[in-house]
Amino acid sequence: MPWLEIRNLQIHFGRAAKALRAVDGVSLSLEPGKALCLVGESGSGKSVTALSIARLLTSPPAVYAGGEILLEGRDVLHMRAAELRQIRGGLVSYVFQEPGASLNPVFRIGNQIKEALQLHRPEVATDAEVIRLLRLVGIPAPEARLKSYPHELSGGMQQRVMIAMALAPQPKLLVADEPTTALDVTIQAQIIELLVQLRQQLGMAILLITHNLGIVGDIADDVAVMYAGQIVERGPAQELLQRPLHPYTQALMNSVPRLDSETERLSTISGSVPRLGAFPSGCRFHPRCSIARSDCSQAAPPLVEMEPRRWVRCPYWTSPA
Amino acid sequence: MSEALLEVKSLKVQFPVEAGPLTRSKDFVRAVDDVSFSIEPGETVGLVGESGCGKTTLGRAVIRLVEPTAGQVIFEGQDLARLKGAALRAQRRKFQMIFQDPYASLNPRARVENIIGEALDIHHLAPNSTARRQRVESLLKDVGLDPSHAHRYPHEFSGGQRQRIGIARALAVEPKLIVCDEPVSALDVSVQAQIVNLLRDLQQEHGIAYLFVAHDLAVVRHISRRILVMYLGRIVETGEARAVCQSPRHPYTQALISAVPVVDPNSKRQRIILAGDVPSPIHPPAGCPFHPRCPVAEARCKTEVPALRETAPGRRVACHLAK
Repeated sequence: MPWLEIRNLQIHFGRAAKALRAVDGVSLSLEPGKALCLVGESGSGKSVTALSIARLLTSPPAVYAGGEILLEGRDVLHMRAAELRQIRGGLVSYVFQEPGASLNPVFRIGNQIKEALQLHRPEVATDAEVIRLLRLVGIPAPEARLKSYPHELSGGMQQRVMIAMALAPQPKLLVADEPTTALDVTIQAQIIELLVQLRQQLGMAILLITHNLGIVGDIADDVAVMYAGQIVERGPAQELLQRPLHPYTQALMNSVPRLDSETERLSTISGSVPRLGAFPSGCRFHPRCSIARSDCSQAAPPLVEMEPRRWVRCPYWTSPA
Repeated sequence: MSEALLEVKSLKVQFPVEAGPLTRSKDFVRAVDDVSFSIEPGETVGLVGESGCGKTTLGRAVIRLVEPTAGQVIFEGQDLARLKGAALRAQRRKFQMIFQDPYASLNPRARVENIIGEALDIHHLAPNSTARRQRVESLLKDVGLDPSHAHRYPHEFSGGQRQRIGIARALAVEPKLIVCDEPVSALDVSVQAQIVNLLRDLQQEHGIAYLFVAHDLAVVRHISRRILVMYLGRIVETGEARAVCQSPRHPYTQALISAVPVVDPNSKRQRIILAGDVPSPIHPPAGCPFHPRCPVAEARCKTEVPALRETAPGRRVACHLAK
């Protein structure tokens, strides 16, 4: 049995007939020490899926309407509050997009990290352990940084502090939700490199949420691509990046600007991501799809294993040229 | 070489650091330090650098949204840095700006027709309300939006659509130069490509010049003819976009290029990961400002400031070691 298994997850916002189905039948699994990337554009449901793992969505308005989230075989959706407190931070830690908004501006960073230790590992809630964590995430002169306030650090350093805080309880899964989106490309490369190192060093699993397919190859073992609340393609990272099968994945990859290409125009996906609650009938991607046929607007295609370990939600998929 | 539309000469922008209520500040943030470049009509010049390198300040100083401390900004033969009052306002019609965050740069309480129409009102470009409405509708069509949405509010649009509204607003006064400050950084990849293509199309149609400010070299490479790479308030490398990206000469440019995310898993490139952050522009390092992070720095880099010198036709690099 995988360490984390999400089966047919349904997350709605609001009740009954008016419910907005943000996540619709997502299934994922993650083994210890592996890295999974969840890729998608704004509004695809990737963050909602990630937050649900430790049941972090405020409910209401969020409704866990169906499916299971099994952590070491136990269903998170049926846990009591005390059990959830152990999971949150203890087994599963989060790093979010904007480090500046996630840190408390009025406390010194040393104390903020110590708070995480006091909750989950009170026996080592000491300056020495905080310094060790800061050193682990590559903060120079950690002894001096203990007493810094968040505003005294750069964005990249703030994100390192967030990662140190997330690592403090020694989690088995680190969920990083767009951890580099607010950062410069050079700092983005540093943070991804840090995550790769930490994973090797500590053996924890990583779930990385991103809209940028460019950073996937550096870190992921497996990739799942989400569109309009559903997974449209899933597979091993190297294979999927080399040979994307779903038309959406192909289009997404083509729209990433490349340094080496000579084309004047960037290829685009026409239109925009459909709004939550206004998903098209049939295949949700069909209005923007370049190979859509007439029946694509009728029947909703299932996610099918088209080749070994390659799952695709499109009956008309083709290998890229 | 044709006549430049904009010529920036030894531009400096410094901000005083607040010392205290009664003490005079002695320190200055040297946000832009002795920068010179030019833009020809209808040309796109890309300006690349990390946060804090001064690229936004430079973009704003060029169109007098921040006051230059020294130097000249010559736009169509007139020095903008010295213009005042009505003369400056008259010039302002010729240059516009597109901002980074489409959620923060549109008034949430104004309808789209008024967001765009306000620009027309200020410069008296619409004689009556019918002309104003028609102009707004045609601008919306130009940027790929439905003209019937003119009465809507910004919150009814997605991020990409909002950025299109920002572009329509900039186009309203028929400018000759648009400063685009990270116009696609806040957008999804697929929408980024749409906006970049739209900017290209508009340029071809209207002959507008762009100063395109961004931290992502891959995007800049796609839209620009020439690139300026900025570090700690100074230009460290300039040249044709293709040449700079294919054979970067400055170690900083090389690191920036290696940091660009690549989708292709087969690319066997060596990633240069820069240590640390951009140093403080209040007390920049002595010698070459990049030397503390530079993988190839030598002894003289710590003492001598490298000049921006021509290494090949059209190519200038500020590095002692560049050939």
